[in-house]
Amino acid sequence: MSRTDWNEHAWRLIHDAPQPPALHMAIDEVLTDEVAARRRPPTLRVWEWSSSCVVIGRFQSLRNEIDPDGASRHGIEVVRRISGGGAMFIEPGNTITYSLYAPDTLVAGMGFQESYEFMDRWVIDALHGLGIDAWYQPLNDITSPSGKIAGAAQTRRGGAVLHHVTMAYDIDTTKMLEVLRIGREKLSDKVTQSAAKRVDPLRSQTGLPRPEIINRMIETFRSAHGLARHRLLPHERERAVALAATKFASAAWTGIVP
Amino acid sequence: MHGEYKMPGGKLVVADLEVSNGNLSRVRISGDFFLEPDTALTLIDVALSGLPATADGEELAAAVRAMLGPHVGMYGVSPESIAVAVQRALEAPP
Repeated sequence: MSRTDWNEHAWRLIHDAPQPPALHMAIDEVLTDEVAARRRPPTLRVWEWSSSCVVIGRFQSLRNEIDPDGASRHGIEVVRRISGGGAMFIEPGNTITYSLYAPDTLVAGMGFQESYEFMDRWVIDALHGLGIDAWYQPLNDITSPSGKIAGAAQTRRGGAVLHHVTMAYDIDTTKMLEVLRIGREKLSDKVTQSAAKRVDPLRSQTGLPRPEIINRMIETFRSAHGLARHRLLPHERERAVALAATKFASAAWTGIVP
Repeated sequence: MHGEYKMPGGKLVVADLEVSNGNLSRVRISGDFFLEPDTALTLIDVALSGLPATADGEELAAAVRAMLGPHVGMYGVSPESIAVAVQRALEAPP
């Protein structure tokens, strides 16, 4: 499989109105499969959330990660995504989340670590443009001198790679810690002594409104790789709505690793 | 029984299991690692279930390695780190 360059692809941008969590999970699966089947050009999707949730990774234990009382007290829905990695605590307006759906030729021959770094190089550039001294921190973080900014996850399906990232814009750490169980073993990592100190969000680092940061990121991508406005096509939305109901909102999927 | 292990330079690996008649049973490995394809998680649980609770780290890791074969992608997790999580679960007070 020979490698393709970013600029050999006609990148599309989808930035839709806020959607519920299970539908976001489903759109990721559908668009990855559409790109794998070469029915859709490679796409950057910027997410807007219509409600709060925790998104757990494909291999995380629901019981070990979530405090059910905390989640219900704060009205937090729990959904599971198709990629691995850790739990993300989402409140509308508090994160910047995006997905890249690309043919796997873009990362052909790359190991995991190289492909994570490669897929987010444009974001590092965008953050530098915002005055943040950010870098890719293996295995799957974007970080800065004052703390972690973002976590990435990737999965390869068929002939496509899905790379998605959640960046902290603002975060209610107290609420997060009431909903997520963050074990002592995880915090034993030297750089993560305190959960509250682990994340330093973009709001405090830039002083910019969230839409402004998103615009700057989109412009960075556009000038590096080209990007044309697009939307979720009717058959894609139809499949995603069905998949959200049958899979991503189901207890069977969310509890697949109990 | 429950054991956790943060793989150095990797991710958190968690083992939940029971011991029945001296053998591992109901083994469930989880964590914030990455596996390709995702169905490999079930294979890991199957590989470990039924092994004697006295198995050492190398035996546990070998069982996982043999079950997964060379084509499963592991990022932030390894047969050895899974073995440590299992051993910690076995050492955990009831």
